Amino acid sequence: MGENKECSSMVDNCEEVPTKEVIEFRPPLYKQRYFFVKNLVQQHKPKKVADLGFGDATLIWMLKYHHCIEHLVGVDTYAGSTSQWEISNLSPSVGDYLVPRDLDLTITLYRGSAVQKDSRLVGFDLMTCIELIEHLDSEDLAKFPEVVFGYYSPRIIIISTPNSEFNPLFPASTFRHLDHKFEWNRIQFQTWASDVANLYDYSVEFTGVGSPPAGAEHVGYCTQIGVFQKNEAKATESCISTPEEHVYETVFTTAYPSLQEKKNLLLVLSAEVLRASNSMRLRFIVDPKKKKVNGRLVPEDSCVPRYGLIVTDAQRAQIESSPKPYCVGKKFYVPLERLITFPKVNRLVDSVERLRSLLSEALKLNRDQSALQVDLHDHYSRTMLSY
Amino acid sequence: MFPPFFFFLLYNTHGFHIRFHVEELQLATRLQATSLKERKRFGGIFRDHVVDTRQYLEHVRESTTGTLGRPVKLFTNHFRVTSRPQQVTYKYNIDYLPDIEDGKVRSELLLQHKAFIGECHIFDGSSLLLPHKLLLLKNQVVKLTIEFISELSPNSPDCLRYYNILFRRILKQMNLKQVGRNYYNKQEATEFFDHKLVIWPGYVTSILEYETSITLCADVNHKLLRMQTAYDLITGLRDPQTKKEDVEQVSKELIGSIVFTLYNNKTYRVDAINWEDNPRTKFKKSGGAEITFVDYYREQQYNTEVTDLTQPLLISKGKWKKSQQDTPHKPIMLVPELCYLTGLSDKMRKDYRVMRDLALHMRLDPEKRQHELRKLMNTIQTNREVQRELQLWDLKFDTNFMSFSGRILKEVRIFQGRRAVRQLQNDWSRETRSGPLLNVKSLDHWLILYPTRNYGAASSLVQSLRKVTPTMGIAMREAKMLEVSDTVQSYTTVLENHVSSKTQMVVLLLLSFKVLCVLSSEKKDLYDGIKQYLCVNCPTPSQCVVARTLDKPQTLMTIATKIAQQMNCKMGGALWKVETGLQNAMFIGIDCFHDIVNRRKSIAGFVSSINQELTPKGSECVLETTGLKEHEPRTALKLWCKHNQFLPQAIIVYRDGVGDGQLQALMDHEVPQIESSLRSVSPNLVRKVKLTFIVVKKRINTRFFVESQGRLQNPLPGTVIDVEVTKRQWYDFFIVSQSVKDGTVTPTHYNVIHDTVCFTPDRIQYLTYRLCHMYYNLPGVIRVPAPCHYAHKLAYLVGQSIHQEPHHSLASRLFYL
Repeated sequence: MGENKECSSMVDNCEEVPTKEVIEFRPPLYKQRYFFVKNLVQQHKPKKVADLGFGDATLIWMLKYHHCIEHLVGVDTYAGSTSQWEISNLSPSVGDYLVPRDLDLTITLYRGSAVQKDSRLVGFDLMTCIELIEHLDSEDLAKFPEVVFGYYSPRIIIISTPNSEFNPLFPASTFRHLDHKFEWNRIQFQTWASDVANLYDYSVEFTGVGSPPAGAEHVGYCTQIGVFQKNEAKATESCISTPEEHVYETVFTTAYPSLQEKKNLLLVLSAEVLRASNSMRLRFIVDPKKKKVNGRLVPEDSCVPRYGLIVTDAQRAQIESSPKPYCVGKKFYVPLERLITFPKVNRLVDSVERLRSLLSEALKLNRDQSALQVDLHDHYSRTMLSY
Repeated sequence: MFPPFFFFLLYNTHGFHIRFHVEELQLATRLQATSLKERKRFGGIFRDHVVDTRQYLEHVRESTTGTLGRPVKLFTNHFRVTSRPQQVTYKYNIDYLPDIEDGKVRSELLLQHKAFIGECHIFDGSSLLLPHKLLLLKNQVVKLTIEFISELSPNSPDCLRYYNILFRRILKQMNLKQVGRNYYNKQEATEFFDHKLVIWPGYVTSILEYETSITLCADVNHKLLRMQTAYDLITGLRDPQTKKEDVEQVSKELIGSIVFTLYNNKTYRVDAINWEDNPRTKFKKSGGAEITFVDYYREQQYNTEVTDLTQPLLISKGKWKKSQQDTPHKPIMLVPELCYLTGLSDKMRKDYRVMRDLALHMRLDPEKRQHELRKLMNTIQTNREVQRELQLWDLKFDTNFMSFSGRILKEVRIFQGRRAVRQLQNDWSRETRSGPLLNVKSLDHWLILYPTRNYGAASSLVQSLRKVTPTMGIAMREAKMLEVSDTVQSYTTVLENHVSSKTQMVVLLLLSFKVLCVLSSEKKDLYDGIKQYLCVNCPTPSQCVVARTLDKPQTLMTIATKIAQQMNCKMGGALWKVETGLQNAMFIGIDCFHDIVNRRKSIAGFVSSINQELTPKGSECVLETTGLKEHEPRTALKLWCKHNQFLPQAIIVYRDGVGDGQLQALMDHEVPQIESSLRSVSPNLVRKVKLTFIVVKKRINTRFFVESQGRLQNPLPGTVIDVEVTKRQWYDFFIVSQSVKDGTVTPTHYNVIHDTVCFTPDRIQYLTYRLCHMYYNLPGVIRVPAPCHYAHKLAYLVGQSIHQEPHHSLASRLFYL
């Protein structure tokens, strides 16, 4: 049942373990945190995203499916030499070559600490610190705002941390994880967060995931989250002046194929163009009404495919108003002006000129390069006709 | 000299017996079951390699090497392992509590203890190989137990398995992308824009021990990526007028095919199509919540948009293993739009432009192959990370192709009657038609059925047959010409009315353009329907001719000759013979056909010869899913007795269609089965019938080359290799029997696993090579001994077209040719 399953994580999230009758989150709490991040990504469409304390890279893996992201970076002090899991899930798969992304994506994992400065992390749109700060000792916690807010200074920062007010609902009365240096209640977190926000000119909003059970609403979310947004987002775009400082060690990096690379664009474009021309060709073949105009066999029908490739009536109308495909001898021609009205072709190239220059490298065009040329009959249409 | 005529499946009416069982797999299931148990420890080929079949073969104790033929210097795509660990290594068993299935997680957990295990280690998922002994674990942080199993001596086959794992790791480090079992270089991809295809070049490798050394065998392999989804296929088959998909057509094209899902990089086999549901249908997630497919792909996981909400869904029953066929699976639903097609479709195979472009690219000649493999070896030598990894184990590879001496066997003499036929570069098509055939059948009562408006083609066929048959010695009377329309119904009605017991042959003119291999599915129905009728309901030999092949006047005579010869064979005639050097020997060929559409039904073709002076050969054909049943060799023997009044002295079985890892099972089940049936036929016989059992393998990665004028080229047909790359514990050899025009020739591997005839290497090699000349459909040499290929043809016809037991009266004919 591979693809229909929830992603399974290797994280040993202590919150989820406690005995069932007490509290069980659905979906599991770690997933709720990740989905919180995903939603924010959906909303703000950041290009550069960094996850501080990426752990097993599950969040990074989930985020790689977002088309808006071009740089995805993970930093973790425990990033050992990369594991099989990370390599196979973060590396591009065959599918990524078949359907390249629109934009480039590079994923890089660094070994390093969130309290060390590395200039490669400057200028990001979004930084996430999911369940990170509670692992910092007081010395590091003191350095943390200066590095993340002051130096890295991304547009948005998400910080999540356990809400200790929720803890009495768990059977064990200790911290949720052995390595936790502290667990704050809402006031503690919000005070710290507001102070930091003020100092570095961010505004902060508080929310959380993991709703308390009925009757215990007063304790608040199990995980409390602060979303920090930089106040003068535009002004500090120019971070390039920061001196290069490479402290983090790169443990893994990979680049995804994208349509920015011409080869990939050609492949996807020609597949899409052939798909469109094929649907018109089949309609043309079965259409009995055709007339001869200047040696061309032109259909009376508009030759617009009725399914799949088109979604809206407006799109249909646009295709209908473009020049019709025609046939000369055993060849079928589709004017580029028509091809470009197909939404999925149009998405890839914006002008007929560009379409022409690209297609001339990949497929056959007619002599004046105004139309795509394909064989009128292939094996299938031949057998279809023989009925 | 030996009185030597070997005719395969020839003209006696009862000589052949055919039997079909459409039952569940028995042997195959058993084979699978045992192999599954073992799989974790020993993968397919490794298990075969530890089976010592030679130990029982007294007569080749000293040597399995022959001497006949002209020596030739050969190269092979094997690279000698020049250095490897010389000390003992230590094997540890790794257990997880609770048990973890995911191999990745298993290795992940283990690698957390890298500091303890050390940099230098090989882990295969359940056991660990180390060059040093571990000190006792102080505390078990993870619930993971490391248990010492054994010390492995440097020569242990177990070690090789670990080297292979290591080598795969190396390929990964070289930035090759793993797809399935092999590794591909995406940087050197080639795009075919107009075919919507991409090809990644890659490698297949294995490190194994052979006669004198351990070698790395490497071959070039290609991965085909198609830019076409199952959805494209479905919409492509939609009738543009009614907008309805042709349900049957879509099922035919999709079911059984393997699709690749983008989002999770997995492959599934399509088992059915669900036309009732669509992507808006809800399904239950593992958590129990219901969600539509559209929402699932968009929101939950993959950020993927499904655009057509009316498409049907594909159903896959999940990973299929024969041995697990009874365990219930929950079927998986897939959205066609997200499923990419894999492999070559029939449609593409029929498109000569696609095939031409692909062949140009994928069919490497020896020079190019060597070039590609050199590149691999160079990268291994120069890549620093790879070298570091190899040095940890002290592994080194030679960078040059291994070289040794092979032998070219003398040309085989072909006889037509008393006439010896001259071979011209292993082709005697011209010679066969210039004189009388070996055994001629006259055509007295025969029919020609032609589709409406094709009388012209039919009569031109008859005229040309008139011209070519006299020289071949075939007497031909007037045929009855009958017109039919192009439907199964029409053909069968006409046949019903005109075929009598006297009818020797029915010639069917068809409109479709290729008869056996690939027909468009509609035409295939016609072909299947007619063949089924003529093989089961109304058993008569038949010959299909595609009308279009008769269009070209310049080739008409050649085609007519071919048709006449084929008809002659089908009626029980014989075309030519070779000397086998054996008296009273019965030859058996066995091959399997796996029906991909109806997963369960595999079919084994069993063909045997029955004749004492080796003239009429009885071939019993058993087509079925099971391995061998006792009665088949027995019936074959009985038939032989009927014709010869005595039993054959020896039975030589060529067994094709054996998968990796089944060698032991063959030894344990199939060979004893045949032996016991031999005993049961003649329990009182003083002299035992001798048996030789040879396993034939066509799909191998070993290639051979000769150097000529400074270039690597394919070895000549008849080249035999029985040194260096054969195995010490086998009585095996390679023969390059066929010649190829372009690309690299694939040798065939023969493994004699049982031999009470006590063939010397020279004799068995010669015999095998000669049998490769006995396939009547081709006046030339084929890749495998003819019995194997006939068995294959039979299995294929039944599996692909007839799907049931042909009428027993046909058993004596080569009706499947």
